[in-house]
Amino acid sequence: MTTLPDPLRVIVVDDEELARVLLRELLAEHPDVEIIAECGNGFEAVKAVTDKKPDLLLLDVQMPKLDGFDVIELIGADVPVIFCTAYDQYAIKAFQVHAVDYLLKPFGGDRLADALARARARISAREPLPAKALISEARATRAPLERILVREKSEVHVIPVAKIDYFESQDDYVALKVGDRQFLKEQTLSELEQLLDASRFVRIHRRYLLNVARLARIEQSVTDSRVAVLQDGSELPISRGGYARLKEIL
Amino acid sequence: MHPLLGNPRRLAIYLLAWLLVALLLTVGLRGQIDWVTAALFFIPVSLVFALITQSAWYVCRVFPIASSRWWVAGPAQIAAGAIAGVVWIVIAGGWSRALENMGADVDVRLTFLAQRPLLLVVGALLYWLVTVFFYLVTAFEASKDAERTNVELGLLAREAELKALRAQLDPHFIFNSLHSISALTATDPAAARRMCLLLADFLRETLRLGGNEQISLAEELALADRFLAIEQVRLGSRLTIAREADPQVVNCLVPPLLLQPLVENAVNHGVAQLVEGGTIRMVANRTGSTLTITLENPCDPDRARTRGVGLGLELLRKRLTNQYGASDAVYAQEQDGQFRVEVRIPAVPAPAKAAAAKAEASA
Repeated sequence: MTTLPDPLRVIVVDDEELARVLLRELLAEHPDVEIIAECGNGFEAVKAVTDKKPDLLLLDVQMPKLDGFDVIELIGADVPVIFCTAYDQYAIKAFQVHAVDYLLKPFGGDRLADALARARARISAREPLPAKALISEARATRAPLERILVREKSEVHVIPVAKIDYFESQDDYVALKVGDRQFLKEQTLSELEQLLDASRFVRIHRRYLLNVARLARIEQSVTDSRVAVLQDGSELPISRGGYARLKEIL
Repeated sequence: MHPLLGNPRRLAIYLLAWLLVALLLTVGLRGQIDWVTAALFFIPVSLVFALITQSAWYVCRVFPIASSRWWVAGPAQIAAGAIAGVVWIVIAGGWSRALENMGADVDVRLTFLAQRPLLLVVGALLYWLVTVFFYLVTAFEASKDAERTNVELGLLAREAELKALRAQLDPHFIFNSLHSISALTATDPAAARRMCLLLADFLRETLRLGGNEQISLAEELALADRFLAIEQVRLGSRLTIAREADPQVVNCLVPPLLLQPLVENAVNHGVAQLVEGGTIRMVANRTGSTLTITLENPCDPDRARTRGVGLGLELLRKRLTNQYGASDAVYAQEQDGQFRVEVRIPAVPAPAKAAAAKAEASA
């Protein structure tokens, strides 16, 4: 008696039910593949990946709220991914984030079998996963960020940048201050600074990136240093270089 | 930009023309003075005056011939001419005195004094001549500009038309539909067949109607219905449709595929971007001589806006501007997660004969 290899535990993510139905049908021909979850949107996908730790993700690109690349950003490329989409223009970006394969809809069983074989090879070779920076880089080709995605355990927050008062660097994390709330994102402040619109967010200090729209006034303290007073009254230090950058914008 | 002062070549030609004027004046008004002295008198005075009359350009700019009232521009130009005439004889007077001081014939100054009234008139006339010249230059440049703009507009319109027609058929729509059909073949063959037929109908109608100058709103709405029916198969319960068309307006003529970019936007950038989906509302009615088609769909206010949103609308706007001349035919607004676009075009009912023939054909 031969022992079957460990089943490939797969999560299917597509906002169209028919597309999920098709994948279910095509995957049924692979006894070594087990669908452990089906998700209709990116939020469910992030939650399912966090909770169930799949071996492979079959991921649609165009989905409401969180698209496929948002999902990758949030799960941090911990999982090999096969993209499934009708759009060919994301292929380059998909391989930048080290996608295993890129299936163009409509696709059939043969093409899917190829992709699965490739995924198995990738998993058994234990290829190193792409660095975070690479994912950010793929992202950087887009226009300035309009929203920031934050994952708290399996919950995802989509925060429009206009709602953010400022960013504060905290070791390996960046804290997003939104009114009374604070969200932590695993990213460096410098990376974020580059992704944001430079005319709206200014690095006023090594540790602070300020939403200029929140600035009420600049106060000069007794010593040479300056302090940014925000509309809600909170105060942030301004470094000398930060003041120069701020002056340039204002 | 001054047409002469900024252009040395033109300025040289202009001054050469004035040299001719100076020689004519020398011949005409020489009186008893000898040729050389007369020329010495008229040439410098004319050339200086030539430069002074360049100011007429600015007066012409203040009173453009097309948009000024004649009872304002007329007196202003007359006054400017009079002032120029005075300036002209003051310069001439000064120069005649200078020539006299330099030891020229005393007759120069006497002749000048005797002909002062005539010179005043000549100065004013010369100034007005320059004014007319500048008006002509302006008119010439305006017509050249208009011609260029026309050519550019024509090109733009044709390009927009082409792009619009090409954009009507989003290939991804077809790929997605085929993927849906592929999914249905195993689970629901009857639905797969229905979807095939819907897609075939839609493609055939798009190609057929796209070639026409104008089609009836009824045909356009039927096409949009087909498109939405296909998208409904793909998106399932997430997409619902509400449509109201005043029976009075469905025989109005519209450019073909007018609604296509709008319903496509409503699906791709609206309902498909919402986890819970939503309703696309389409209303067509008529107020007076205007046909108004309104499309409303829910949208995600925080959606990422980097996917060429607005391109379809922009092309439609250009197309309608080109066709109807009104630049406000397309009006789009987003408020509280609801996107609304209104298209207003002249309500032109299809000719009764053609409509009857069509009714007969379909009966």
